[in-house]
Amino acid sequence: MSDARVHLFGIRHHGPGCARSLGAALAELAPDCLLIEGPAEGEALLELVDDPALVPPVALLVYAEAQVQDAVFYPFARFSPEWVALRYGRGAGIPIRLFDLPQCHQLALAAEARKEAEAQAEESDGEGTDSEPEAPHAEPDGDPLDWLARAAGYSDGERWWDHQIEQRRDHTDLFHAIHDAMHALRDELPPRGTAAQQHREALREAWMRRQLRAALKEGFERIAVVCGAWHLSALSQLPSAKGDDALLKGLPKVKASAAWVPWSHARLASGGGYGAGVESPGWYDHLWQHADDGAGLVARWLGRAARLLRKEGLDASSAGVIESVRLADALAALRGRPLPGLAELDDALGSVLCFGDPTRLALIRRRLLLADRLGEVPESAPQAPLLRDLSAEQRRLRLKPSADERELTLDLRKPTDLERSILLRRLSLIGIAWGSGGQRGDGRGTFKEVWQLAWQPEFAVELIAASRYGNTVAEAADARARQRIDESLHLGEIAGKLQRLLHADLPEALDYALRRLAERSAVSHDLDQLMATLPPLVETQRYGDVRGTDAGRIETLLHGLAERICIGLPAACYSLDDTAAEAMVQQIDTTAHAFGQWADTERLADWQQALRQLLDQSGLHRLVAGRTTRLLLDANALDPEAAARHLSHALSPANPPLEAGQWLEGFLRGSGLLLLHDDTLWQLVDRWVRGIGDDHFTELLPLLRRVFAAFTPAERRQMGERVVAGGPSASVVMGQNEVGFEREAAEAVADTVARLLGIGG
Amino acid sequence: MTQTLREHAEQQFAEELAALARADSHARPPNWRLSPHAVVDYLLGTTLDDGFVVSPKYIGSGRLMEIAVATLATDRALLLYGVPGTAKSWVSEHLAAAISGDSTLLVQGSAGIAEEALRYGWNYAELLAHGPSHKALVASPVMRAMEEGRLARVEELTRIPADVQDTLITILSEKALPIPELNDEVQAIGGFNLIATANNRDRGVNELSSALKRRFNTVVLPTPASEDEEVEIVRYRVEALGRALQLPAEPPALEAIRRVVTIFRELREGATQDGRNKLKSPSGTLSTAEAISVITSGMALAGHFGSGSLDDADIASGLLGAVVKDPVQDAIVWREYLETVVRERDGWKGLYGACREIS
Repeated sequence: MSDARVHLFGIRHHGPGCARSLGAALAELAPDCLLIEGPAEGEALLELVDDPALVPPVALLVYAEAQVQDAVFYPFARFSPEWVALRYGRGAGIPIRLFDLPQCHQLALAAEARKEAEAQAEESDGEGTDSEPEAPHAEPDGDPLDWLARAAGYSDGERWWDHQIEQRRDHTDLFHAIHDAMHALRDELPPRGTAAQQHREALREAWMRRQLRAALKEGFERIAVVCGAWHLSALSQLPSAKGDDALLKGLPKVKASAAWVPWSHARLASGGGYGAGVESPGWYDHLWQHADDGAGLVARWLGRAARLLRKEGLDASSAGVIESVRLADALAALRGRPLPGLAELDDALGSVLCFGDPTRLALIRRRLLLADRLGEVPESAPQAPLLRDLSAEQRRLRLKPSADERELTLDLRKPTDLERSILLRRLSLIGIAWGSGGQRGDGRGTFKEVWQLAWQPEFAVELIAASRYGNTVAEAADARARQRIDESLHLGEIAGKLQRLLHADLPEALDYALRRLAERSAVSHDLDQLMATLPPLVETQRYGDVRGTDAGRIETLLHGLAERICIGLPAACYSLDDTAAEAMVQQIDTTAHAFGQWADTERLADWQQALRQLLDQSGLHRLVAGRTTRLLLDANALDPEAAARHLSHALSPANPPLEAGQWLEGFLRGSGLLLLHDDTLWQLVDRWVRGIGDDHFTELLPLLRRVFAAFTPAERRQMGERVVAGGPSASVVMGQNEVGFEREAAEAVADTVARLLGIGG
Repeated sequence: MTQTLREHAEQQFAEELAALARADSHARPPNWRLSPHAVVDYLLGTTLDDGFVVSPKYIGSGRLMEIAVATLATDRALLLYGVPGTAKSWVSEHLAAAISGDSTLLVQGSAGIAEEALRYGWNYAELLAHGPSHKALVASPVMRAMEEGRLARVEELTRIPADVQDTLITILSEKALPIPELNDEVQAIGGFNLIATANNRDRGVNELSSALKRRFNTVVLPTPASEDEEVEIVRYRVEALGRALQLPAEPPALEAIRRVVTIFRELREGATQDGRNKLKSPSGTLSTAEAISVITSGMALAGHFGSGSLDDADIASGLLGAVVKDPVQDAIVWREYLETVVRERDGWKGLYGACREIS
């Protein structure tokens, strides 16, 4: 150590043993100044550490104000050494400095690096490289501790650290030992990471040294420095300030802000992409909480496992817990550990409570290791107003965010549930997918909604980003929705959003959307857009009263739209090619469905009139004509004889077979039942098919096959049977064709014919 | 001098056990010959401070052996579970040898076993002449183990009918064996415990009742994790067996062992090692133990009838017998494997030819 006034404490982020030792060491040293690896932006927020309402895991969120998405988190669990140091420092009333390179520089550097990478990617015409904001403590290229672990005969660095440091009960000289070990590592190992990463690390360490010098200059006598063990050797020697000053000269800078946000155990786990993550935050938390409990530490852990097993419906007796505690103790003794660690507990669990069956253990292991919990941030904490509004709403509606995914069933007839649904929908409009699903429970009316809720700590960032839209959830959702409406190019898109606005109870945005819709539809000549608008509008109108929203405006709009569609339809169907006809048929289908649902007989009559008009149009595409006939027939707006006439007309030999086939496709699309039950139609189609010459038949076959393939197997089978049975069957006898039918004469030959054909008996 | 065909573990490795006992400085549970530490060392092999080399008995996860030994140290019974040929009985024998110095207190489970085999029987001449007495009692291995504070072994626990299995419940939970005929009981003394083995592959086994299951700690012995590990096991065992059986052939080349192990692993897993081809699996388990016997029988063939060193033809006959357990199904599997995999592989021509010749 170059200076007796400086006391270095190398730690690993989130190590409970380390935290414990650090606490004891600090109490012993009683420093008068504390330097902790963390962003300077957070210093103003440190007084909240005293607030009992700030419950870890929490994170210090630092974001660039201009580019909120560029955010970094400094997570703290209650077993993090940094947290312990903060608590100590606040308790002792000594100055605390967060002395990592401020994020206003780091974020600027990251932004520059990204721009550079993008430029390079463009130059090389390669795919853009993903440059997400890095986790602040991310260590590049694997864990340098692996080297020490390997030397000591452990499989990896985490295990080594766990046994050597975390499980140590005696903390004297621990930090000296860590210092020596890391010093040796830094001397021996080649520099890690890319050149850019190395440069950044150098900058950070230069900044840390600068802060340390400043603290020394201020005349503190016992300065405690708490930082990642890796940085120790960079801080143990203080070269002249000149080199560092040169390095730190002209650093880019952006405006950055900081806030406390709730964090979760899942985000602390290394699997979550967090560089300095730990394998099993649940275990560490347990270790921290119960380390003084001795035997209770093990018993509580295994007891928790047993409860989880029971929750899964598996037997887990107390006797089993007792036996697994004994086995874990015996294993620890055998392996020379002072206390059973995670490995021993796993083995004991697997062998006793899970009967050696790995699937049983796998069932509970994740929940056991993660023990997911979400931290809390006090109301008094400086927060974006939007965040505060949200937490107020959450409290009011008793809808507490939780990290575990859970299901929420809402009964919209209850005011609170209705408001909850509205809140979730508003959030989703802002882009915060706290709840997913939200479809109405099927078949039980429209008052039930089922949501899956899972709060992600990252939502904090998105909420801050969304703050520019407004200071309350309602405002932000309203403004964001309006923005989206303005961005929409297609009328159908706006109409598609109406329902969401309605459900999110944003009457002003809804009003705005309707006005925009009215304005734009008035000047739109695109029937396609108008027709796309109608179905969602009808849907909205139908559900309008459930939500207690005035649907009058929608009604007016609908009337206008319907009129324009009915007038425009014939013109829009002139000279369509095959592709356009296909699209038009689909449009007509959905529009017809919408008219059907809209209980307005007057408009429905208009629409049917328009369709009839379409039928008379000469040169109408066959597909559209066939479809229109069918729609009218289905709606009872065309009598069967007229339909038969149209069919016969379309299938008359004068028409090219391909066109006739297209007509038939339009007519039969969807369901073949009609053909089965109406014998006139059957006869017409039958006669037409027989009349097609071989050449044409081959040409037509794929088309016909496509039409018939869409029918249900049962329909196809019945048709097949009918064809096999020689056309006219039972229904024919009863049909209108009986005129001129000589039953006796026919019966005389029927038997013989049947025998010849090999059917019947 | 007559020599036994196969010595018990405590006889064969007496020297190692003695050396371990000498060097053992850890605490020993009552009636244990070695400390748990030394038992694990005995199983996994080690080099003692004085340079004495203890050979490994179990090649594989040391964790499992630690669990097994720790279980026995907590006086819970140990159930070794797994597919056939994963060294369950082998581990059980060596545990008993190392802990009690005696691996002979053994009950072989079978469908025809009666309660007497687990509790006690009677010397009927004595019984008829003098009535029930301690003298007329014939103790089972389990009862003897209780009296002497040793380890008893039950092989193939799941083959024992359920009602007979349940005899063990009192023994395991009360550590006592009542003798109602004499209005007496035998109470186990320290050092008594029970190791049972069971396999999960046999059809028609009697599931353990949950009452009994709860009295065991279960250790599942897996098939070897990697090819290298399996080759190591086979090589080590073949050498040991070759010495014990005085096979005249010279020890096989590593290459031959690797080939057999590769064939076994591929057929067992139903895929070639590069993962490119899916294979059918035969009905047998193709355990490591069977791979060992293919090599040793090949060595015997080579020594007595062949060139004296293991060649493809010597392996082929053993392979066929090990793989084809069902003459119809497995023959097809083997034929397909030969034609699609063995034939295409570089340097496997000789083996392919030899296998074709006999199949």
